[in-house]
Amino acid sequence: MSLNKEGSTRRFVVTSLAAFALSGLIVSAAIAQVPPDPNNPNEAVPEKHTYMPYGETITLAQAKKVADAALAESTKRDWQMCIAVVGPTGDLIYFQKMDQCQFASVSIAQHKARTAARYRRPTVVFERLLGKGAFFSYLPTLDDVIASRGGNPIVVNGKIIGAIGVSGGTGSQDDVISQAGAAAMK
Amino acid sequence: MNTKPCLTLEDCKKIGAAAQAEARKNKWNVTIAILDDGGHLLWLERMDGATPFNAQVAIEKGRSAAVSRRTTKNWEDRVSAGRNALLNMPVLPIQGGVPIMVGAECVGAVGVSGVQSHEDEQIANAGIAALG
Repeated sequence: MSLNKEGSTRRFVVTSLAAFALSGLIVSAAIAQVPPDPNNPNEAVPEKHTYMPYGETITLAQAKKVADAALAESTKRDWQMCIAVVGPTGDLIYFQKMDQCQFASVSIAQHKARTAARYRRPTVVFERLLGKGAFFSYLPTLDDVIASRGGNPIVVNGKIIGAIGVSGGTGSQDDVISQAGAAAMK
Repeated sequence: MNTKPCLTLEDCKKIGAAAQAEARKNKWNVTIAILDDGGHLLWLERMDGATPFNAQVAIEKGRSAAVSRRTTKNWEDRVSAGRNALLNMPVLPIQGGVPIMVGAECVGAVGVSGVQSHEDEQIANAGIAALG
């Protein structure tokens, strides 16, 4: 299609105006802020940073003690679980899968342990906060979160030396076994 | 319908204990991973002094041996012989992964990482030998 000069000029002007209007939209969107919601508990800025410090990395002997306590509890209840023990950084140290445990749990157990270690808190914290509602829906956008109970830090003398993750049953069953494992170091 | 043998946790612990004994005898700190025939982790232990990297590599060697039903040394040898195209295969072609055979059936594999590759394989073999 051929255009006369007047037509192409008009088109240029229209395009430029549109581009200008669009850039204005983008800039104002970047500056705009969503006003704080007084009902949002995340707006509060706590004075203190409370946390449990990391200690020395759990030894293999300690990891086995934890995993075997969890295995014993699981065997006693006739539950089929995967049990993972990690160091403070979330790296795997000991793992065992019971014969009839579902395959999905192989990775879930490791994930729960890793998250409990790296965020130094039980994974039930994420699960419960998510259940509280929309103000906590940001939690699963954080790196490597798993919002399901069954991951617990292993604490010795007030310091986190690792974590245990259990998966295979309901979340509540997993957490019973996980806590039985962690309790072996208390 | 065919049935095939499969590793129990008890078998894994037997293999693991023998592999660990071989490593300790030589004062080697390694990670030992045992996987089923689909490459799924059944049992793992990282000895004190072995690194998180060793744990990743041990699992990968074991998975490679399990799904390919070959030692990872077999893969490494073929790559070393010049078959570079094998580097595109979804396996880790580094010695230290050994399939566990029961008769003609592969039931899983042992992967070891932490010392020299041939020593890793020596540990894996010692573990499998304990299965009888």
